[in-house]
Amino acid sequence: MNKPAGLTKLFSISAVVLLLFLLPLIIGSQYIMYVLIWLGISIALTSSLRVISLSGLLSIGHGGLMLIGAYTSALLVMKVGLSSWFALILGGVAAGGFTCLIGFPFVRLKGMYFSMVTMFMTEVILMVSEQWKSLTGGSAGIMNIPRPDPIKIAGIIDIDFKSYTDLYYLILILVIVSLIVFYLIEHSRIGRSWQAISRDDLLAESVGINVAAYKVLGFTIGSFFAGVLGAFYSQFYNVITPSEFGFFFSIYILVYMIVGGRRSFIGPVIGCILLLLIPELIGGLGGYRPFIFVAILMAVLYTLPDGMASLPTRLKYTDLGQWFIERFAHA
Amino acid sequence: MLEQSIFNGLMSSGIYVLIAMGLTLVLSILGIVQLAHGEIYMLGAYGVYFLSTMAGLHFLPALLVSMAATGLLGIVLEKIFFRPFRSDPERAVIVAIGLILFLQQAVFLAVGGVPKSLPNPFSGVINVGGIVIPMERLIIVLGALVFIAVLFLLINKTKMGQAMMAVSQDRDSASLYGINIDRTSSFAMFLGCFLAAAAGGLVGSITSVFPGMGGVALIKGIAVIILGGLGSITGAVIGGFIIGMIDGIIPVFFSTQVSSVTGFVIIIVILILRPRGLLGHE
Amino acid sequence: MLEIKGLTKNFGGLCAVNNFDMTVEKGEFVGLIGPNGAGKSTVFNLVTGFIKPSKGKIIFEDHDITGKSPHAIAKYGIVRTFQANRIFADFTVLQDVWAACHLTNKTGLWEGIFRTSGARKKEQYTLEHAQEILKFTNLESMSQTFAQNLPHGYKRILGIAIALAAQPKLLILDEPLSGMNSEEVAEASNLISRIWKGKTTILLIEHNMRAAMSLCKRLVVINFGEKMAEGLPDEIVRNQEVIKAYLGVNINLA
Repeated sequence: MNKPAGLTKLFSISAVVLLLFLLPLIIGSQYIMYVLIWLGISIALTSSLRVISLSGLLSIGHGGLMLIGAYTSALLVMKVGLSSWFALILGGVAAGGFTCLIGFPFVRLKGMYFSMVTMFMTEVILMVSEQWKSLTGGSAGIMNIPRPDPIKIAGIIDIDFKSYTDLYYLILILVIVSLIVFYLIEHSRIGRSWQAISRDDLLAESVGINVAAYKVLGFTIGSFFAGVLGAFYSQFYNVITPSEFGFFFSIYILVYMIVGGRRSFIGPVIGCILLLLIPELIGGLGGYRPFIFVAILMAVLYTLPDGMASLPTRLKYTDLGQWFIERFAHA
Repeated sequence: MLEQSIFNGLMSSGIYVLIAMGLTLVLSILGIVQLAHGEIYMLGAYGVYFLSTMAGLHFLPALLVSMAATGLLGIVLEKIFFRPFRSDPERAVIVAIGLILFLQQAVFLAVGGVPKSLPNPFSGVINVGGIVIPMERLIIVLGALVFIAVLFLLINKTKMGQAMMAVSQDRDSASLYGINIDRTSSFAMFLGCFLAAAAGGLVGSITSVFPGMGGVALIKGIAVIILGGLGSITGAVIGGFIIGMIDGIIPVFFSTQVSSVTGFVIIIVILILRPRGLLGHE
Repeated sequence: MLEIKGLTKNFGGLCAVNNFDMTVEKGEFVGLIGPNGAGKSTVFNLVTGFIKPSKGKIIFEDHDITGKSPHAIAKYGIVRTFQANRIFADFTVLQDVWAACHLTNKTGLWEGIFRTSGARKKEQYTLEHAQEILKFTNLESMSQTFAQNLPHGYKRILGIAIALAAQPKLLILDEPLSGMNSEEVAEASNLISRIWKGKTTILLIEHNMRAAMSLCKRLVVINFGEKMAEGLPDEIVRNQEVIKAYLGVNINLA
């Protein structure tokens, strides 16, 4: 129930978006582009996980869904010769369709049991991928997946996606589109139904909200985007190895969301920047990465349950925060 | 061939039951899904490794000491990580997830990822009615049976066991009857980790020990408790038996992936028809 | 309006409701009373779809709603409150009622996403609807208070407001007055009366005999899962069987 973005908000968002588009002209490093692509994928993935969580479902299944999207896209492009753009969408459709099929019995489960079952789902997807050698290449996966189809328009635009910069623009557009879609859905009647469901699903049911259907809807939407991102990943990284998308992958996405703040729309962005971008920019954390992650996770769980995104609000209500506001906000 | 696979099924059943009993104990008494249970299993296995290579203990004493030590570690973990979130199962799950990362990476950094093997004094085979059974595997089945029996005795014949059952049924009422929730929780955690370590040590004795070994254990454990019913120890035994036998027999006739998929299908069917599992009481 | 025929529910070996018949005409104010454990809540969960019946039929306005899911039944026009008084926590009172206006806000999926002017008009209408309900239930002054911070009596009224937001044709109230002091009972009774006068049919489940008698125009008594008696409050209060069921003794209460 938030009012539409005020003018200043819109202005600052536009400024940020503009900056992001101009970034490759400022930073020449392909390595940074690579890092930013990963950041983009993670932000979109984490946000899609958040969409699922809006109706109260905590999924640990994103790895498996991404894998479905990746395989679908790779196979469609490599074996059927489909355009990579269709493959991108169909990757999402495959993942979303899968969720739609199994969703109804799953969403009937109480909170943590749902999480357990999604974890199980990922493991099975992984197991099937590793065993079904003829289709998926087994545990070795699929290699030499081509980059996205080149875009050639009237001699003016010629993008062949050979460089990371091209891919960066693609993922940037994907992220922006998905965030816009998520924002609009969240602030629509659907989003409000999710809010009611996540607070008390029996009560929501009694006022006419079809709880099961709405939960499956959220699960499917989140899964669709996970599938699309999986397809993008296959086109960007050119290799799919199933073991990369297992339990740990799904857990990390969940951790980004929790640390950033599950309640807040930009929580996933904050979580990914904090746990992905900053470590990468300071030269990596090596084998200590899990420890630092866990430390941050525990710190957040114990002190800031609503994630880092709630920090400004929390600080506002402390004495220090009040002093700060007095001093500077009224100047 | 069929007899061999039946026996293998029994062996798997024994392990799954041990894992699931511990998991369901913690779930019903502490109220949380202890996702790091697989890591506890792994720590139990490494405990046996260290005690036998460094302290030179034989397998059996090493196993028992490792089980006890892991149980004690569990008590510490419960106090620090799970007690504060007793009323918030959702966050407790996330804490457990954090523990998975932490424990696995800690072991990896300390010992490296190269699989280790445990000394196994049980060599040779015995011949039971024409079936050739390796001693080391028979020990697993026997060990599992012993621990199952011990657990059932504990629950039915001791005060603490009764207290645990009371807490698992209704925590609030249990405290009104004078049961010390903290102490009961610690004990349940000790038991859960004790059993997980047993499973880890036993499995490690016939395969190898590596930091990621807890993953499969967790998956199987969860499958078993969903099937058998969350919170039911008898359910864990029955569920463990069913899934263990499936894993033992089906690969012989079809393949391992068919057995995994079969397990998955069973879980889905259970969820649709009887979400609380065979013997669950929620 | 509502016809219950031969309703039966078995739980394992226990028969909670046995061959229960009842009707509610449009515009009536009917009370379903009975001692604790008589099966009132079970009947009511069966009618509103939260439990599926073992046998029997439930017909609402010529639609067979037997065994349908709660949200579908709410769409037909039957809305209930909860005995344990459920509200949407960490919403303000206004948000709570607005969230419950789901059925009144018929925005389609695409309309909602693309924020068409049609959608915005409907949302405005829904917001006004929510505010009207707050006015009607005298909760307007607390519209910005967080629901969980309301005093107990007001929380119950909020529960009723939430049900009202779903625009019920038949409102079923599950022991709305339990745990209230006499002042709260008076205010809640007044509200329920006004709802009825506003042409909403009401079915009241209540353990508190006195309140049920003063509010309801007709009573149905249930005991051990079966219909025991039916009639005007004056008749019921003189019915020896009923008195015996409640008090276990023969007393002349007339």
